[in-house]
Amino acid sequence: MLKKIIKYALLVSVLIIFSLTVYAWYLSSQVEKRFSARRWHLPSTVYADTTLLYPGQRFNPSIFTKKLLNLGYHRKSHLPSKKGEIQITPTEINIYLNDLKTPWRTREGFPVQVLAGGNRIEAITRIDTADQVPILELEPEEIMQFFGEERERRHLISIEKVPERLIRAVLAAEDHRFFEHSGIDFRGIIRALITNLRHGAIRQGGSTLTQQLAKNYFLTPARTFSRKFKEVLLAVVIELKYDKNEILEIYLNEIYLGQKGSVAINGFGEAAYFYFGKPVKELTLSEAAILAGLIKAPNHYSPYVDPARCRSRRDAVLQSMHRNEWLSETELQAGLNEPVRAVGFTVSGAKAPYFIDYLTEQLKRLYRPEDLSSLGLSVYTTLDTQLQLAAQRALTKGLERLERTNPDLQREAPEQKLQGAIVVMQPKTGHILAMVGGRDYSVSQFNRITQARRQPGSAFKPFVYLSGLAKFTPTTLLSNDAKSYTVDGKLWEPRNFEPVTEYTVSLKNALKKSYNLATVDLAMKIGLEEIVDMAARFNLSTPLKPYPSLALGAFEVIPLELARAYCVFAAEGVQPFPLSLKGVLDEHDSILEQKHLTIERLIPPAEAFIMTAMLQSVVTEGTARSLRWRGVSWPVAGKTGTTNDFRDAWFVGYTPDILALVWVGFDNGDTIAATGAAAALPIWADLMNAIPQYRSETEFKAPRGVARILVCPVTGLLSVADCPAPTEVYFLEGRTPTGHCTLHAKDGIAGKIKESLKGVSEEDDR
Amino acid sequence: MKTSPIQVVFLVLLPALLIGCPQPILQVTPSEIEEPAPAEKAADENPRVVAALQLTDQGRRLLEDGQPDRAIRALEQAVGLDPTNGQNYYYLSEAWLMKESAAQAKEFNHLAEIHLKEDRAWMIRVAQQADRIAELEK
Repeated sequence: MLKKIIKYALLVSVLIIFSLTVYAWYLSSQVEKRFSARRWHLPSTVYADTTLLYPGQRFNPSIFTKKLLNLGYHRKSHLPSKKGEIQITPTEINIYLNDLKTPWRTREGFPVQVLAGGNRIEAITRIDTADQVPILELEPEEIMQFFGEERERRHLISIEKVPERLIRAVLAAEDHRFFEHSGIDFRGIIRALITNLRHGAIRQGGSTLTQQLAKNYFLTPARTFSRKFKEVLLAVVIELKYDKNEILEIYLNEIYLGQKGSVAINGFGEAAYFYFGKPVKELTLSEAAILAGLIKAPNHYSPYVDPARCRSRRDAVLQSMHRNEWLSETELQAGLNEPVRAVGFTVSGAKAPYFIDYLTEQLKRLYRPEDLSSLGLSVYTTLDTQLQLAAQRALTKGLERLERTNPDLQREAPEQKLQGAIVVMQPKTGHILAMVGGRDYSVSQFNRITQARRQPGSAFKPFVYLSGLAKFTPTTLLSNDAKSYTVDGKLWEPRNFEPVTEYTVSLKNALKKSYNLATVDLAMKIGLEEIVDMAARFNLSTPLKPYPSLALGAFEVIPLELARAYCVFAAEGVQPFPLSLKGVLDEHDSILEQKHLTIERLIPPAEAFIMTAMLQSVVTEGTARSLRWRGVSWPVAGKTGTTNDFRDAWFVGYTPDILALVWVGFDNGDTIAATGAAAALPIWADLMNAIPQYRSETEFKAPRGVARILVCPVTGLLSVADCPAPTEVYFLEGRTPTGHCTLHAKDGIAGKIKESLKGVSEEDDR
Repeated sequence: MKTSPIQVVFLVLLPALLIGCPQPILQVTPSEIEEPAPAEKAADENPRVVAALQLTDQGRRLLEDGQPDRAIRALEQAVGLDPTNGQNYYYLSEAWLMKESAAQAKEFNHLAEIHLKEDRAWMIRVAQQADRIAELEK
């Protein structure tokens, strides 16, 4: 009988050992698989463009200060002594720059003084060397991270770069016998058992770092016997397969150490930045002890939650380090005397959500979504966060103003509210600097800059007039009289916005005053197919039909494409490809993608300039002249647009350096009862007034191939002495008027004609 | 001082001879074409222009170091600040030549031509650049 029992016992033991061996082998393969593969999912980070500062630059102090805070700089009352600190006084901003790292440039941080005189930078001086800095590049601002399901932030660190004081602090807090045990610390378990029995409650855990790692990495948090059993086995397996430093490095990168909004802070690399704004190698003894103390209960001991509790936990860690003879008495006292001071953080919402959506569409063509949330890529973009903020503010203010002045525009339901959109581009480079695709992203994610198709109204007219330059000149006279057209068997009778007495008008003045009748007359003279072709050359992708109403912008366009098309006028006839993505680095900072500005020549520079000159007169004397009293006193070219029943209001305006398109309307096509000049233009003006640093305020330069000629405003011929208020008009060379004004020539007949047309002339100059 | 007829002929022909001299691809330092140094040139100009010239110079140096991508980046920034300086387009064209993209080199060469039309020395370089682009296109 006994023999039988022994036999069964032996058999059972063999079976258990066999099963355990098989299970351990299985766990071993799991560990190997997990550790040899990608250990963590690192979210990819999207950055805005870098910011340039230079002496003489105008700037908006409030937006600039916000920019520095968004970059993670911390405000101090004293002169900055370490990277990431700023001191702001009424006359100067002292910045200890962070390191700069982009695919194109790396630079160590250094302290600078930015001397501000009013809204202008007077000088930039290095504080350490007193050298003048002619141009300074601030690091790119993080605007978004592509998280996976985990929503974890992690800044990986290698064990060689972790200071000894942090390792000692972690071991003192969690497992001071780490380098002595083999994954399971039996002495620790017994000690924990005794302590817990003495207190009648669980006061101490016996888990080693390796067990904690096993638990975090492979197991659920459930407190069951089987989970504990697996944890022990896994810890042993991990210790057998990896050396202590490897295990410690994984642990230091893995452990959960707090919460920033909805995102978890994992690993000491990230925690060092989150709590103290610095890399781990710069942590002081006290800071290292604080972080180590957080492992036990990160949100309970967080310096952001309860500094006193945090301090008491830090002191316990320092005492433990001292007990383990890792700290001298002097070091202990110094550590205990250090105040607990975290650097602070702000949880900001999405900074440019519509831009990010647009960018994501492009990134998806290059990377799978799961790669974006796991490969830790750095994505560099063209976005300018200061401009983005200014554009958002201008749009919000403008729409609220419209609703205030016309209560009929107010809507109860958020999704039915008056909408607007803005895109800002550099016309020469195609860089998209800001994109506001709607009033409130949380209400509607529909991007009205890239996804909407709206009638451009008169904002389309420049393409009609451009097509006309092949046959006509800016002074060619057009009929501005009422006419009927038959389209698909139906009668179409265009009208001017308001009745006018000017029945004949020059091409230049027709665009300036946005006359519909004269524009249709021009379009019919050019040929509608030619205008359709011209629009296609400008990469307007939406279908346009050769109907007379085409000339008045009756066919829908995509706002971004319209903005890009206008870039051609500002950029000497070349069209840039609209750029939002500039480059992508992998987690080791190797360049994966680079996008440069690329351009395509569409029209001769002289034609582009003639268009700009005519569009400048829209701003100086035409439908956009209200810009002047809205504070826009520098050279601007632009065009307003209003569609039938006031469904859409547009203004596209540009200088040689910057172009912005503003659209206002209701998604459902309700009337907004306002023109482009009344609804969209004020928003454009507000935006431009808020961003002085982006305007050179220089003139548009006339290229070769244009001639400036003094002409009679009535006949468009070369002016003579008696012409009333002769004006200078740009012509294409070789297409200038050849004859002198006969109307005002000094002979009896002309004098009579001049007298009879006096009224018309005055109308023209209105 | 008397001038001999041979000296007169020589002096008259000298500019033409100089224009005809072949020049290496990146012989373009502002000093060599008797351009004042960036800061010096721009001292009385607007601050954007001064800053842009720093970036233009950075771009030129990066090109000389054989780093076209980094040069393009600096030159893009320069264009952003001062789109009227034709030198930026000239160097951008050089960068694309270095990257062996004749199409883009041609576009920027054309822009350089537009903006540098009043600078005879630069126009010579722009013309030579156009020749090299044509060579690359073959």
